[in-house]
Amino acid sequence: MSFLDLYVVLLRATITSFAGLASLPAIQDALVLHRHVLTEAQLNEAVVITRSTPGAVGLYVVSVGYFVSGVSGAVAGWLALVTPAVMIVPLLHYAGRRLHHPRLQNLLKMVVVSSAALLFAAAFPLAKDALTGWFTYALAAIGLLLMFVTKIDIFWIILGSAILSVGMSVLAAS
Amino acid sequence: MADETIVETSHRKSPEPWQIANLFARYANFTWGGGSATVSVLHKEIIDRRDWLSESEFTLCFALARLIPGTNLLAFCTGIGWMARRGGGAVCALLGASVPSALLVLVCTMLFSFWEHDPIVQAAIRGAVACAVAVTVRTAWVIARPHVVQGSRTMIALVAVGSLVLYWGFDIPAIDILLSCAVVGALLPVARA
Repeated sequence: MSFLDLYVVLLRATITSFAGLASLPAIQDALVLHRHVLTEAQLNEAVVITRSTPGAVGLYVVSVGYFVSGVSGAVAGWLALVTPAVMIVPLLHYAGRRLHHPRLQNLLKMVVVSSAALLFAAAFPLAKDALTGWFTYALAAIGLLLMFVTKIDIFWIILGSAILSVGMSVLAAS
Repeated sequence: MADETIVETSHRKSPEPWQIANLFARYANFTWGGGSATVSVLHKEIIDRRDWLSESEFTLCFALARLIPGTNLLAFCTGIGWMARRGGGAVCALLGASVPSALLVLVCTMLFSFWEHDPIVQAAIRGAVACAVAVTVRTAWVIARPHVVQGSRTMIALVAVGSLVLYWGFDIPAIDILLSCAVVGALLPVARA
C-alpha cells in the first residue's frame, strides 16, 4: 500500500471523527475488512499500545500505520493525525477578533460546561476498566485528593501511582 | 465574583518558538489519561506559571478544539501556539505536542511483543491508568470552574445535567451535544452590563 494511499485512508478516518478512538470503525472497515492489510489482532494491539503509553489516545493511528507499512506507514499515520488539528487556526482567526462579544462568550461557556460534563461522563468507562480492586480504587482516591489539596504536579502523582502499583505487584508476587 | 477569573492582559510578551515547542514537548506528551490530563497540566503551565494567555483565550482554544474533528488535544495545542505566537507558534506547538509521543508509540509498537507480558510493566500501567481516572474528574472541574459564577449557576447546572442526560440516557454522540450547546449559547439573550 502506497504512502499516499495509506495517508488518505487514515485521514478520512481521523477527519470524520471527534474523539480519540472514534475513528477506529472507519479504519477497521478500510484496512481490515476491505484491503486486508491489517489484522483485527494488530488493530487491538495498536489500541493497547496507545493506552499503555502517555499522550493522546488518537496516536493509535501511528501504530496502525507501522503495522501496515513499517516506518513510512507510521509517518503517514502521524500526518493523518495532525492534519485536522490545523483547522483550528482559521476558526481562531475569526473568533479571536470577537472574543469579547457576549454571544461568543455565551457560546464558549455552554460548550466548555458541556465538555466538562462529558469529561466527567468519560471517567466512568475509564474507571470500569482501570479500577479493578481496592488498591486501584485507593490509588485513584489518593490521586484525586492530592490534585485538589496540593500543588504537586500531576506527572509526579501519576508516576507515584505507577511506582506504588509496581511495589504492590512485587509484594503480592513474593 | 462574576467573571473575575476571566482576566485579559493585552500586552503579553510573545514566547519564543523554542519555548513553545519545549513546553508542549514536556507537558503534552508524557501525561497518561488522554487529553483531559494534558489540558489540566497545560492550564497550570500556560496561565498560572507563564502567563502566556488569558483565561478567556485559553477557554476559546479549548472550546473550538472540542468542535474540530480529529484529536481534540492536538487542535487545542495548535490553537494555543497560534494564540501565543501566530503561525510559528502553531507549528511549534503541533510538532512539540505530537512528535515525541508518536515516536514513543512507534518504538513501543516495534517492541510490543517483548514487553506485553512483562508483569512489572503491566503493574506500572495499571497504577498510572488508575490515577488517570482521578485526573479526568479533576480536569472536568478545572475547565468548568471559571464559569461557575454567581448569576449563572442555574444555567450552568442545567447545561451540565442536560449534557449528561443526553449522553447517558439517549446515547447522543458527544459532538452533537457540544454543537447543540454552541447553538443554544449563541441564541441565549445577551446579559446587559
